[in-house]
Amino acid sequence: MDNKKSNHEIDVNKRDFFRKTAALSVTALAGTSLLSSNARADDPAIMHHVPWGQKWGDPVTKNRYGVPSAYEHNVTRRNTKLLASGNYRASIAVTPIHESMGIITPNGLFFSRSHGGVAHVDPNMYRLMIHGLVEKPIVLTLEQLKKYPSVTRTHFIECPANGGQEWRGPQFNSVQFAKGFMSSAEWTGVYIKTILEDLGLKPEARWMLAEGSDNSEMGRTVPVEKVLDDAMIVWGQNGEALRPEQGYPVRLLLPGWEGNLCVKWLKRLEFATEPWYCKEETSKYTALKPGGKAIQHFYANEVNSTVTSPSPEIPWTNLKEGDIVEIEGLAWSGMGTITGVDISFDGGNSYVPASLKGLVLPKSWTRWSYMYTIPKDFQVNGKQIILASRAMDDAGYIQPTIDEETAIMGVESVYHRNAVETWEVTATGEVNHVQLRS
Amino acid sequence: MFNLDRKLIISASVAAAVAVFTGCMSGSSAEPKGAAVTADGKPTIDGGVYYPVVDGKTGPYYVNPQVAIDAKKIYNGRAPTPNELKAWDKDLMPDGTGYPEGSGSVEEGEALYEAQCVMCHGDFGSGGGGYPALSKGNGYELKKTLKNNRYRNADGDGPTRVIGSYWPKVSTLWWYIQDGMPHPMSKTLTIDETYALTAYMLNINEIEYEGEVIDEEFVLDREKMMKIVLPNNDGFIPNIDGPTGPDDVRAFYADPNNFGAKKVNPAERCMKDCLEPTAKVTYIAGAGIAEFLPPMATERSLPKTEESNGGPKKAYEESCMMCHADASMGAPAVGDAKAWASVTAKGMDAVYHNGINGINGMPPKGGADLSDADFKSVVDYMISQSK
Repeated sequence: MDNKKSNHEIDVNKRDFFRKTAALSVTALAGTSLLSSNARADDPAIMHHVPWGQKWGDPVTKNRYGVPSAYEHNVTRRNTKLLASGNYRASIAVTPIHESMGIITPNGLFFSRSHGGVAHVDPNMYRLMIHGLVEKPIVLTLEQLKKYPSVTRTHFIECPANGGQEWRGPQFNSVQFAKGFMSSAEWTGVYIKTILEDLGLKPEARWMLAEGSDNSEMGRTVPVEKVLDDAMIVWGQNGEALRPEQGYPVRLLLPGWEGNLCVKWLKRLEFATEPWYCKEETSKYTALKPGGKAIQHFYANEVNSTVTSPSPEIPWTNLKEGDIVEIEGLAWSGMGTITGVDISFDGGNSYVPASLKGLVLPKSWTRWSYMYTIPKDFQVNGKQIILASRAMDDAGYIQPTIDEETAIMGVESVYHRNAVETWEVTATGEVNHVQLRS
Repeated sequence: MFNLDRKLIISASVAAAVAVFTGCMSGSSAEPKGAAVTADGKPTIDGGVYYPVVDGKTGPYYVNPQVAIDAKKIYNGRAPTPNELKAWDKDLMPDGTGYPEGSGSVEEGEALYEAQCVMCHGDFGSGGGGYPALSKGNGYELKKTLKNNRYRNADGDGPTRVIGSYWPKVSTLWWYIQDGMPHPMSKTLTIDETYALTAYMLNINEIEYEGEVIDEEFVLDREKMMKIVLPNNDGFIPNIDGPTGPDDVRAFYADPNNFGAKKVNPAERCMKDCLEPTAKVTYIAGAGIAEFLPPMATERSLPKTEESNGGPKKAYEESCMMCHADASMGAPAVGDAKAWASVTAKGMDAVYHNGINGINGMPPKGGADLSDADFKSVVDYMISQSK
């Protein structure tokens, strides 16, 4: 092997390799056995030393806090002008769920939504005030807050407007934008009920105000029942401090409930008998129904799922008839634990069960999988494949069809759309976001 | 004070009841199942399941039983001082709780609006630049549009959701203006200014006070605000107010038909012929929304150029262009040599000073988070583009 071969020569060899391989493929199709042939071109990625194999790598002193490979730069949050105030302060950047693996979103890819920009809180100046209908009101520093015994839980957080742009028809030919207003992480913090054991909640308390310290002073009202169940104050995200986009140093986490309720940069909890009417629980985050009334306090994100592989972003254009491929997706429910996912190849008219895989946790992303043999021209019964998934949870819910959901909710609700999502595969393996509706 | 021991006992008994009911509570290795009722024996408030602590676990998670006992003794903070409470406890509730003493007129509100709000929210609250409209006319008339639903009437008019037609409570308006506005420099309005801006919002939405439409002479204060009922006050379900509030919410989410959800016995779920015969494949109209930033790509390659902070052009586009792109906002437009000549005639020191500290409707540094030096380079860039 020539160790001094230049990159240019390697490139030339690569071209030869692909040319020869392509020629051989044609030959193979013509009936010549490829297996018996010694004429297959040698892969320069194997035949030559690679640059990183012969030079020193970085010293361990570089990147004291690690960063992804530069080659992964396309795996990134994305935004669109149509979902933003003029300067991206009251806006959202969404997660590339077509690239997600397992049930955890890396902290740098966790979807980011703010109402007045991402605040940068000095942890030394951080204070949490808990007052109102408690026996012992309290001010805590970050250090004091963290002295409460911690719990660690894996939960998704979903913006209730995930999919909300598509009530009237499909708009995004992208699973990142159609379903990526959500992410999932392992959170560490304290149950608020544990703190309230200490402070003493007065029995007449029915509601809690949670308020952020950011530019918009984001506030929401939470029923005490959730507070005494699984509501958490969290400071840890996937084993490290929360990212600023997630409310560093402290946010509220209401497992399964609207992301907007999980107030970031949390500064104050107040308990009262009557609810507040915060801006984001009246003007927004309310779902208008056909009769003209809107649902307020729409807490839990209902059972939902989508295919994530294939996707418009990573289609099946490199596959052909007879290839075996794993279809993968995510399922999640803010009302409980996923109990099953069905998959459809005809847009949700008929289903077969898919398999759940990995950990199946309450109010968490859950992976599902189905092994599939690619049919000719990506067609079944003479029609292009339209993939759909339909999840169920242990609360007894199942995803409705679009017709079933819009019959009750109309198409002006914006929030909480959880009807079955559908993805058409074209004759060349491209994937298009479509809807099946009357 | 809520009693921990009682709750633990109830949790255990509920879990036992669930176990008997479902008959599926096997050995101690099984994870506790979600229950349809909480420790109080009531359905959950959100329609979901509840995971009681059974055999030291909630769902799949182990819990440390010492925590529930020792939490009562942890208190390691301090009580807030009266002044600290006053500084942070500034929320408003619809019954008048938290309404401060003060007043402001529609006329004063309009002047404030023109100086500090119009650049984002447009003339008379008409919206623009991605920022929400605040008014589209008479709130009482526009409330009727909330019944417009483009369900099977795709070409019809949709609902108009602005302050006058949609917001239920005036307290929300005052509170949010005080806490969150103006967007680039929130919490800078005085109480009187907030009353004035609230009054102006009521005026442009043609809201009534004691049967009369709020006109330009109107002065809003604490007592008057308590009497104002917005047109869509009764537009929201379920009820959340009063002693029955939480139970009303609970009853609402007990019925999936109220919120577009669907329950089914898994064994009876539809496996074929599940769609309406009329259901057709609907495609994205045109290209749909396809302007993604950065553009969609999945290849593994080295980035073409290292990401930098983007320099003054990027900062201009992010923080200045909204008002300086053209003359409509009253700010000198980039590209307008004459407008900038009269600005720079004051001398560059004055230009920098005014920009850094804010002038007229412009917040300090245009609301951008830039060092003085970086901000000056943005000013230089804007002037260089205006010669």
